[in-house]
Amino acid sequence: MPGLFESFFSRHRKGATLAGLVLVSLVCLLISNRTIVVKPKEIGLSVGGFFQKGFTGFFNWFGDTAGSIGQLRAAREELAAAKERLQQMDQETRENLELKRQNAALQAQLDFAQTLPAERISAEVIARDTDNLFSTLTINKGSRQGVKKGMPVVAWQGDIEGLVGKVLSVGPGSSEVLPLYDPQCIVSSRVDTTRDEGLVSGQGQDRGTLVMRYVKKIAKDKISYGDLIVSSGLGGLYPKGINVGRIREISAPAYDTSLVLQVQPIISFERLEYIFLLLPASAATPAEATP
Amino acid sequence: MNRDLRTIITTVIVLVVCILLQSTLLTKIAIRGVRPDLAMLVLIFVSMRRGSMVGQVSGFASGFLEDLMNVSPLGFHSLLRAVIGFLYGMLSGNVFIDPFLMPIILAVVATILKGILSGIVSALFGIAASGFITFTGRIWIEVGYNGVIAPFLFALLNLFRVFKQADKESG
Repeated sequence: MPGLFESFFSRHRKGATLAGLVLVSLVCLLISNRTIVVKPKEIGLSVGGFFQKGFTGFFNWFGDTAGSIGQLRAAREELAAAKERLQQMDQETRENLELKRQNAALQAQLDFAQTLPAERISAEVIARDTDNLFSTLTINKGSRQGVKKGMPVVAWQGDIEGLVGKVLSVGPGSSEVLPLYDPQCIVSSRVDTTRDEGLVSGQGQDRGTLVMRYVKKIAKDKISYGDLIVSSGLGGLYPKGINVGRIREISAPAYDTSLVLQVQPIISFERLEYIFLLLPASAATPAEATP
Repeated sequence: MNRDLRTIITTVIVLVVCILLQSTLLTKIAIRGVRPDLAMLVLIFVSMRRGSMVGQVSGFASGFLEDLMNVSPLGFHSLLRAVIGFLYGMLSGNVFIDPFLMPIILAVVATILKGILSGIVSALFGIAASGFITFTGRIWIEVGYNGVIAPFLFALLNLFRVFKQADKESG
């Protein structure tokens, strides 16, 4: 019997090896899909993150060196613009102080809960997914810096803050972020002007639109193109009032009881470099639960 | 050291470097977020040159490392790359690779094959791989991108002695 096995294996060595490798892969898929395997992924994430940091740093150094001359010129112009902006901001700060005083008084009267996050962790996007099949972002902060699974992620582009997504998995020194344009990322949102609620999810492309569903058809006449979509705060994962996108298309399918809105994200994901992870002010151990 | 083993080790190292490049530098030249799959192109080149055994083992090992590094479940890329390495290795010695047309055809077929395989595996295991949900759009960009890059990459890889054709297919 062993002789028979050996002769079969020697005759079909390549096929038997493939069968073995496929079997190992399938077993791994079965196990890891049920989230039994945790440690190897964490180890892989941290080792991968280490090399990705190195690669990003290496190429950034070359890019920065080459671009430094042009940057110097641009910096002069930016400095002049910044001085002008500073003067404007001085004026705005004075106005804001007055508004804050009024706001605090009104909040105290209405007994509103404080929903805006008090603290945030800044991080740099060091890599994207290795394959086009998935759409995660890798950032250079992990559990050592206080990052936790499920944390909401925002970014500033221009003068606007927008929602990026949420933390999907955390390694010791790096983490994976599930961006808004991934179909698995669902955000409870509302139209800022009319307060109509719905769910925003991605369509899988970083330059594509998001889609907002479950907005009642009765709202069709009230909402219009360009209206701002913000997070509603329902579900507790994403804080209330974070900019998500602007309405680009409104459709009312006959087969559906709700509207389907195409939403242009506030954040331009293909040029995303720095992000902020939000720590809810009220929770010491934030956002363990994912929707 | 056995020549096949040496080739496998070298190939896995090259593939891991390609995977790291794909997640960092190549994002700068992405078209609509899609980057060329350098690792797959290197894998099909090596498989065509060195046969099924080298192709499938290198593909499996590099795919496994890739799975450890990103969000895909363990076994996902190792399965795809092992199968692609095996199938292309079967062609070793049977197909003449000219400098231009064959690399394009091989790359286009491999990318479509990857799309089909990943779609099947995603459906079977309920994996949310957004890239090929509808099998439209992104995959065709990757098909074009890989097809354009393949002739140049194959010409570059031809310079390395370790990837030279085996005299006789091992195994």
